[in-house]
Amino acid sequence: MSPTWGIVAVSLVSIATLAIGAFGLRISRTTSDFYVASRSVSPVLNGSAISGEYLSAASYLGIAGLVLTHGADMLWYPIGWTAGYLLLLVFVAAPLRRSGAYTIPDFAQVRLQSVAVRRVSTALVVAVGWLYLLPQFQGAGLTLQAVLDAPRWVGTVLVAAIVTLNVVLGGMRSITFVQAFQYWLKLTALLVPLMFLLLAWSRDGRPAAQASADWWTPLGVATPEAIYGTYAVIVATFLGTMGLPHVVVRFYTNPDGRAARRTTLIVMVLISAFYLLPTFYGVLGRVYAFDLIASGRADTVALELPSRLIAGSGGELLTALVTAGAFAAFLSTSSGVTMALAGVVGQGLSDHGPWRGRLSSIAALRIAAAACVAVPLSLAFVAEPIPVASSVVFAFALAASTFCPLLVLGIWWRGLTSAGAIAGLIGGGVCAGAAPFVTLALDVDGWWGTLMSQPAVWSVPIGFGLMIAVSLATRSRIPATVGRTMVRLHTPERVQVDRRF
Amino acid sequence: MTEPTPPAEPSTGRVRITSPLSTASTHVRRTVGQEIDEATGVGEVYMQSLIRSQLRAAATVAITLLLTVVSLPLVFLWVPGLNDGRVLGIPLPWLVLGGGVHAGVIVLGWLYVRHVERAERLFTHLVEPSDGRP
Repeated sequence: MSPTWGIVAVSLVSIATLAIGAFGLRISRTTSDFYVASRSVSPVLNGSAISGEYLSAASYLGIAGLVLTHGADMLWYPIGWTAGYLLLLVFVAAPLRRSGAYTIPDFAQVRLQSVAVRRVSTALVVAVGWLYLLPQFQGAGLTLQAVLDAPRWVGTVLVAAIVTLNVVLGGMRSITFVQAFQYWLKLTALLVPLMFLLLAWSRDGRPAAQASADWWTPLGVATPEAIYGTYAVIVATFLGTMGLPHVVVRFYTNPDGRAARRTTLIVMVLISAFYLLPTFYGVLGRVYAFDLIASGRADTVALELPSRLIAGSGGELLTALVTAGAFAAFLSTSSGVTMALAGVVGQGLSDHGPWRGRLSSIAALRIAAAACVAVPLSLAFVAEPIPVASSVVFAFALAASTFCPLLVLGIWWRGLTSAGAIAGLIGGGVCAGAAPFVTLALDVDGWWGTLMSQPAVWSVPIGFGLMIAVSLATRSRIPATVGRTMVRLHTPERVQVDRRF
Repeated sequence: MTEPTPPAEPSTGRVRITSPLSTASTHVRRTVGQEIDEATGVGEVYMQSLIRSQLRAAATVAITLLLTVVSLPLVFLWVPGLNDGRVLGIPLPWLVLGGGVHAGVIVLGWLYVRHVERAERLFTHLVEPSDGRP
């Protein structure tokens, strides 16, 4: 197809993103605006923003690609990404907001009164963020290559540049508007073309999908490894969502704990509505785009289908719309992750670095944003691209093995000590963090390969186990402030108690 | 009693005996908020019961999720007949995994929020019965 419409679509999304960001710039002045939008974002706006940020390239393109290739079992990815919010809602949402801290490292320090825990969590936030950014950047390159015939680096560099500009210029407040806009854009950009595609399919005489019974049935090939694989996805996504830095940082932008709960509920509704759509693209891909599996380009199925089913400029326009949505997905997720990383690293820079005190916190945030984008950007050129949804699950597994135990035990168990937290963060982090490297570098086969490529089933219990065991062994080091902290985490804001630490 | 006036003239007969109620410690009404702030036994009991009830609600949701959604892969595996079912032409597993589970998860979340907000309202009333704050 001619790339004109695609270029128009990508430019429009980029300009709209920067324009809304600039609008946010006019009203974001204070440090608090930059970091947490001054904690005054309403649940509906915040819910749209969280959903916009959460629905990454993995959701937008990746699920359709996985369903096209592997069939019914892949429906567990979107289920996990929704159910993750349910567990976040019941275990974390309100207490995390009531803790009053900006980021996970802040929470860790406040709860455990230890700078060492803070440092370890900061390092892990950065690791999770980079694992998340890498596939977004790669996916952007892949998309522009598929639609515009551009070299792969163009999309990657474009996304990285826009994201950095946006964070540097506007901070959290402008990001909130951008993200909320991008959720609705993404929903429209998959929904409208799908209507036309289903119409065309219907007119075509509803041809059947070229698929065997194994593709249609969950666990069609019920090997032990396949069952393990399904449960690995379930554990990583159910428990990982609550530990994703860009999701967590959004909870501090709620006015209070009650609003944090309502926001979570709204997010669950919004992302569930979205997740109905990619499945259709995957199934239609089995009808019309079977060749993509063999050529290893399954991730582009949503981009390919409109032009294959609908001839002429109609198809091109729809392709442009899907492209616009995909670009919005790269931009919103990358902005959110970069913002979260920059918040964490920026705070560290301005408070703890050798230039302590000489760097204003907004300047620190800007420097940190540029640095946090640079590393995954260079990795995107070096690393082999793997299916975008699978590589995102590495980030989920890492978050599930480290921050999930930290948050759940920190909020609900008085006995957690700083030594226990550090042991669990490092133990769980090493197990889940080594997995992607072993998978990518050594290419192990058989059971070992399965266990290493999907570590969550064993690395999450290791994280929890270490935290509990070491905390019990260092019982004398339970912080004296724990009673105070628990009061603050759990009492409703209307109750007048002393909330200082 | 605190000011025992020395009996000057014992012969006059009349002795005044008073109960110094005015100096008795007055009964101070302490709010539960203060009890919690000072981490007294009463305050601790209130906090423990609040945290326990919240944790119980969370655990109920988690266990429900475990028994329903998380067991689904095994259900489809052990009851193969389910895979052949069709509703409106859509295979049953696709209907359940593609949309049904999401709806269930939302309902579970909504029930949880309703329950917890009621519990928090009760706790607020308990701690601040008058709630005369603006």
